[in-house]
Amino acid sequence: MTEQPTGGRERDRWGFAAAMVVAGVLLFSVVMGLIVLPVLQAPNAGIDPWTAICRAVGLKAGSPAQPQPPVSATAAPVSQVRWTPATLKILAAADPRPGAALAQAVCSACHGEAGLSPSTDFPHLSGQSGAAIYKQLSDFRSGARFNAQMTPVAKKLTDEQLAQIAAYYGSFSRRAAALGPRYGIGDAAISRLANRGDPARALPPCESCHARGVGGPPEAPVLSGQQREYLYRQLRAFAGGQRGNDVYRRMRDVSSHLSDDEMHRLAEFYQGLS
Amino acid sequence: MPQNRRLILAHLWVAFSVFVLAAALGVWQMWVRSPLAAPQDTPARYYQSVTGHGVSMAYVLTTFFIMGFGYFTAETALKTPLPSARWAWAGFWTALAGVAMTVAAILSGQASVLYTFYPPMTATPWFYVGLVLVVVGSWIWVAVMLVAMARFKRANPGAPVPLAMYATVANAIMWLWTTAGVSAEILFQILPAVFGWTQTIDVGLSRTLFSWTLHAIVYFWLFPAYIAFYTMAPRAAGGRLYSDTMGRLSFVLFLLYSLPVGMHHLFMDPEHSTGFKFIQMSLTALVSIPTLLTVFTISASMELAGRLRGGKGLFGWIKALPWERPMVLATGLAFFMLWFGGGGGLINMSYGMNAMVHNTAWVTAHFHLIFGGTVVIMYFAIAYEIWPSLTGRAPLSVATQRLQLWLWAIGMMVMTLPWHYLGLQGQWRRVASFNYADPRIGPWGPLVIVSLAGGVLLLVSAVMFVMNLLPRRAQVRLPEQGYSFALAVHPPQRVPAALNGFTVWNVLVAILMLVAYGFPILQFFIGNSPQAVIHPLTGG
Repeated sequence: MTEQPTGGRERDRWGFAAAMVVAGVLLFSVVMGLIVLPVLQAPNAGIDPWTAICRAVGLKAGSPAQPQPPVSATAAPVSQVRWTPATLKILAAADPRPGAALAQAVCSACHGEAGLSPSTDFPHLSGQSGAAIYKQLSDFRSGARFNAQMTPVAKKLTDEQLAQIAAYYGSFSRRAAALGPRYGIGDAAISRLANRGDPARALPPCESCHARGVGGPPEAPVLSGQQREYLYRQLRAFAGGQRGNDVYRRMRDVSSHLSDDEMHRLAEFYQGLS
Repeated sequence: MPQNRRLILAHLWVAFSVFVLAAALGVWQMWVRSPLAAPQDTPARYYQSVTGHGVSMAYVLTTFFIMGFGYFTAETALKTPLPSARWAWAGFWTALAGVAMTVAAILSGQASVLYTFYPPMTATPWFYVGLVLVVVGSWIWVAVMLVAMARFKRANPGAPVPLAMYATVANAIMWLWTTAGVSAEILFQILPAVFGWTQTIDVGLSRTLFSWTLHAIVYFWLFPAYIAFYTMAPRAAGGRLYSDTMGRLSFVLFLLYSLPVGMHHLFMDPEHSTGFKFIQMSLTALVSIPTLLTVFTISASMELAGRLRGGKGLFGWIKALPWERPMVLATGLAFFMLWFGGGGGLINMSYGMNAMVHNTAWVTAHFHLIFGGTVVIMYFAIAYEIWPSLTGRAPLSVATQRLQLWLWAIGMMVMTLPWHYLGLQGQWRRVASFNYADPRIGPWGPLVIVSLAGGVLLLVSAVMFVMNLLPRRAQVRLPEQGYSFALAVHPPQRVPAALNGFTVWNVLVAILMLVAYGFPILQFFIGNSPQAVIHPLTGG
């Protein structure tokens, strides 16, 4: 925008005054914020003035943002899967085609064609998220989760193969998403528990992690459409401590607050109309 | 009479239609938070609704209103048609297409990320692309405003740009600066994540870029209210503006100090050092200067009007003011709410006190009072004020306009005062349900119900507002008439170039932004900034 010269001296005066005021304010806040206050407060934090100034500028990490020692969890079994950028890259780059071949050869005998299990002994894999399948296969392989059939199978597979199988089954999830969730109907109390949780028992809604595409923990499996027998067995296993590969004990805590009847009804609710 | 009446009305009707729907969502949200049983009260629905409410109120109502009002101001204050009505319509349709995409995304349930986005949650691309289109539409508006003012200055060398237009262009320029932050966030961080090109996102950087936008955008919304204070209210009261220069100064100070202050939204965030937070706090404190300048100038203008109408004594002039006129009434109510909202704002911006209210209901109560109260009530008053010159019809009843304004102000106070108090008690914001059976929070229940009652009043008022604007058969047709803005006591003959353009102020904004945001943004690119795993809300 061009300015009309309506008096050069006047503009100079206004521009100069404005610049001086702004400079004064900036100078005040910079000196106070970066020098005076840190130096005055340094003794309280037990640090020397120079460190305090470096922290105030952001050149040094201040407490409590100090680098923490790496966590070395020794309690076993514990899941070894961490959702680091590296893990996510493996999953994102995995090729589902070799995964399909592996699934045909290894998985389909129990889990059915395209992951739809014909038996109540084995869960459906179709429509499950790739991240959930990768997490469970990794846990079977590392021993964080044990199953007499799954553990030996998973131990024979490489990390890349796990990711390929996960990618293969994950490739159905978009189609499953398009079909929409299929929840059981008629049990209002259980639907409420699944959708709203129960604050009095500190129970979060199941749906806040397990609904498809809810943005919860990446490893949380989709429950809608899963076999009720499988769901019930898992809830019992978490509550009884036979299964413990849930991150932060989330499912062990949740299931320990559920009654046996609620577990049955939740499993029924999530199996839905099949 | 403005030339492009259809253009202006189209903008305002989009704004107000969305506003009424969003007001209904707001009432339902308060209902869900209350101890009373609300329909559909699941957390998933709650966050979906909060997203819809926030996006509608913060992006659609405001942007479309400001664009429409800007076109009105350009035509009536400069007394010339817009430089390009075709471009203006292009901006309108672009923004409207964006709104349609965003609304569809929210309705699909795949965009419940709230209007502030909160990465690492990510919504469907339609949500962001839609919002980008709204911003692109508003940029076209900015260009039209800049060209209109430049043409006026070329045609009238040395003449002062009318205050209403000067303020509108100040807002347009501020909007360009403002949108730079969020645009960078969406284009360089969120969209690559949404399209699957990256698996992680630097949340610290995205929050910083959003904070760049987050405070200035509030002033973008606020500008029309201040334009009405300076250029409409004094005339409506039967007086004159006390000082034109004071108005110009306030508007450039808003331009200057609304931008390098956004970090006061991040006081409790770990990614920034205390020093830069302190710098931005100091700059935030300066925003109170143009606010207080305005309170002084408008009070003085009102006093002039009151005394001209025969008001005597220390307070007699207040009584003598024509309170039956909606613009005067709305100004009074807006100032009343400004005291509470502004006071709360001073607490929020104080680094130490912020720790007490951080992430509590206090904050939501604050921005509802200051934006929903002070600002939106002036949107109503502006609409009432300019409607006759846009539609060529006289309003059926000024009494229903007054009733609507009163209901709005009372509803807003009833809703926000208990809400503030609950924030001080520690009630969380962004939470869908409370266990009122817990004795520690049980006493909150009745107060939330009071807030809900305030919300119902607001919804009634919102519906009344639209009813007041709808054309009726019984309305009297008015002769073609223009619109005149308030004159100053001493209408400016010549103003300093600095207060007739924006070059000096743009340079100063650039310097302030460099100091306030330079290193805080640079730090994410040197050193190892932690990345967060993306949490898509899109299934698959």
